[in-house]
Amino acid sequence: MAQEDLIAAFTRQAGVMGAQILPVEGRRELGKALAEALKPCGRRAALFASPLVRETNLEEALTAAGFTVEKDGPDFAREADVGIVEFDYGIAETGTLAMDATALKARLAAMLPLTCVALLRTKRIRANLTEVIEAYLERGSWPGYFTLVTGPSRTADIERSLTIGVHGPERLLIVLVGDEGGDDRGR
Amino acid sequence: MAAKEFRERLHKALNNASLRGALERFADSYIISREEVYRGKDFAALREKIAAIKGDAAGRYEELAAQFTRAVEARGGKVFRAHDAAAAREYIYQVAKEHGVTDVVKSKSFASEEIHLNEYLQERGITPHETDLAEWILQLMPGERPSHMVMPAIHLPKEEVARVFSRYLGEPVEPDIKNMVRIARRELRKKFLTAGMGISGANIAVAETGTIVICTNEGNARLATTVPPVHVAIVGYEKLVPKLKDIVPILEALPRSGTAQPITSYVTMITGPVPARKGDGEGIKELHVVLLDNGRTRMAADPVFKEALQCIRCASCTNVCPVFQLVSGQVYGYIYSGGIGSILTAFFNSLEDAADPQSLCIGCRRCAEVCPAKINIPDLVLKLRERVVEKQGLSRAYRIALHGVVAKPRLMHTMLRAASRLQGPVTHGRPFIRHLPLYFSSFTEGRSLPAIARVPLRDRVKNLEGALRKSRLRAAFYSGCVIDFVYPEIGEAVYKVLGREGVEVTFPQGQACCGAPAIYAGDRETAVSLAKLNIAALEEAKADVIVTACPTCAVALKKNFIELLAGDPAWEGRAKDLAARVKDFTQLVHELKKSEGSAPEGKGRDRGIVKVTYHDSCHFKRHLGLDRAAREVLTSQPGIELVEMRESDRCCGFGGSYSVKYPEISRPILERKLKNIMASGAEIVATDCPGCILQLRGGLDQTGSDIQVKHTAEILANKD
Repeated sequence: MAQEDLIAAFTRQAGVMGAQILPVEGRRELGKALAEALKPCGRRAALFASPLVRETNLEEALTAAGFTVEKDGPDFAREADVGIVEFDYGIAETGTLAMDATALKARLAAMLPLTCVALLRTKRIRANLTEVIEAYLERGSWPGYFTLVTGPSRTADIERSLTIGVHGPERLLIVLVGDEGGDDRGR
Repeated sequence: MAAKEFRERLHKALNNASLRGALERFADSYIISREEVYRGKDFAALREKIAAIKGDAAGRYEELAAQFTRAVEARGGKVFRAHDAAAAREYIYQVAKEHGVTDVVKSKSFASEEIHLNEYLQERGITPHETDLAEWILQLMPGERPSHMVMPAIHLPKEEVARVFSRYLGEPVEPDIKNMVRIARRELRKKFLTAGMGISGANIAVAETGTIVICTNEGNARLATTVPPVHVAIVGYEKLVPKLKDIVPILEALPRSGTAQPITSYVTMITGPVPARKGDGEGIKELHVVLLDNGRTRMAADPVFKEALQCIRCASCTNVCPVFQLVSGQVYGYIYSGGIGSILTAFFNSLEDAADPQSLCIGCRRCAEVCPAKINIPDLVLKLRERVVEKQGLSRAYRIALHGVVAKPRLMHTMLRAASRLQGPVTHGRPFIRHLPLYFSSFTEGRSLPAIARVPLRDRVKNLEGALRKSRLRAAFYSGCVIDFVYPEIGEAVYKVLGREGVEVTFPQGQACCGAPAIYAGDRETAVSLAKLNIAALEEAKADVIVTACPTCAVALKKNFIELLAGDPAWEGRAKDLAARVKDFTQLVHELKKSEGSAPEGKGRDRGIVKVTYHDSCHFKRHLGLDRAAREVLTSQPGIELVEMRESDRCCGFGGSYSVKYPEISRPILERKLKNIMASGAEIVATDCPGCILQLRGGLDQTGSDIQVKHTAEILANKD
């Protein structure tokens, strides 16, 4: 499948699974677009540093837009409204995000706040889980904490009524960064 | 468990209207959403893959466990092999004690339930907090137990949950689900942030890398394995698979079969210890994996029951089980419910503990159809029943009925003939027994029983067996007891239709009961002796084909005899020869018509069109696979319009002696079937099983409906 088709399939399926998608054309627009999208979610953002975050000066852009950006500390992400994390891969078949989440802060930023922002380079979208597993295996040692995320946290435990956001984020915003830079094989 | 306690629990569940409503609504929508979520997937290929991976793993747990252990230890984690529940509990307690843990957060783990970990820790001053929403609700309700493997609190209405939350918080809580979920988030977040240890289960464990895979929708497993500084994972041996890539088919099937989702919100894979918050800084988390045996390796060494270890705990078998939908998991008594649950209970607990739960299986085989690990659950339940009977013996009534009567055809036939003369007082001259006196009364609640025929088929055949002008085939008719003594007219119809098709039919008089009642009661001894009797009698007929018109008998002749006589040098070959010649009536007609090049039938005269709906008998569809053949035969018949009913392949609740043993379960299953039949607008229900006919006619009789129930043979026979 061509990459454009994979992106379209991923976008469609992630939507079905309850995620919101924010496509961003170039890396330069990321900060502005994200700040705009996050306005209704609160001003405290826990940010996990990653190549894309650095390349796009995301921290500066958010600070300039009035966000308090948290990057460290023993209570990292506990009180934040938003957690921002870059994911390694997207899986078109199920609209799933994949990440080597061995770094503690990557996990905490993605788990604790009510809104999770998942940054994903469009060139990192693969067809299925097998391809993603192969990609990690090619990189060598298997990650200590590997995580797949599909849509927001959900439960149907009371009367089978689907309710969003029980322990994890109630909002998953996937920012699809279509861009020229960065490699397409892993961080 | 005492039989009395089991009955009490059964009746309590059957009388719980809100539970029944919730389970029924769930099961109805599940069937549709499961189909949707599998669309485009090759389910047959997927389950082959899973069965192969898990079956292979079950054959080498020791090797995989050693490899898994090496991999985890290489990363700095610890693996403890727990032989039984007590060893597992003690190890986990020691880890907690060592770290001065007072509070533990748990992410749903059936294995921890299985070893009764919560009580053990609590008694030693450590508080476990369940974090799965349903589990937490149940934990706040002392004495309450999970009712479903995937949705443990499906039986609780929101008002009940609101009462529980109000009590917990000491302030009124409205029965608003969204708000209650928020409360759970708030309350449990405090536990996650302060607990000294997290305990999780695992859905899969990968030997190659030492990885444990956990699926959740709520995200509680991620928090429980990330926030506290110590993580203990309890992993049954059956969760082991060799390679990382083996997880893919399991992850494809587990959520699809479990909750009809393409994937769960979160899949977490942990390989060795990872960074964690320790004090004010960051350190490395402590990881302990408890590999739990508790009967699993004994099961793996059992050539029959090893198959059950392929289970991936999706609970789809219970989701489609007509009995489970009525009684819920609370009745099964132990951790794992439903058919597969009774098998696991026999090994993880004891055979005695599985005795009552296994008896709930009606044998409709729907579970075998949907199982993503291709486990033949109903056959395993029968094997289990056999072992229960071996150990505990048959009940007195069963022993007399099976050993004393069914095993002695001559005596049984004499008694049936006597009954046909003596039944006057209960039938009042009608072909139904509407009420039975005294303690038999429950047999006829909601279903009339048929009367015994005045002249059995075996006495009528003399008038039916004329030489044909030109015969294409010689057939021996194996009627089975119900056609012989209750519905001889079905047998007459078989003769008529086959005669028309140029088949010469004989009735071997030495034939006896097929043994199904004994097989389904776990009485192997009677079944074996009847198998031999029948083989000898049917061989004598020297027929090209043995025709049956009862799918249960057909399965006995085609499949059970071979199994019963396997390893017996004098009989094994004879059983196989016989089995190869057995053909169901409708199947034979279908084939004969096809070989004729589907010659157009004569016009339906001016009788008009009759609306017929088809009821799929469980054995006929799921063992013999003839559901389409039957429909083709019927629709090729002029004057018939086939209208499909809802849930045509759902069990009618008969199940042979099941309807006598559990009339309170059989009855509501029948009621649902009757509702579907009546809603179809058909004038006739066609089916291919005399047992189903007995059940459906009885049920329709009691509702006063004039819908007729007919065997396919009777419909074909009446065409001119």
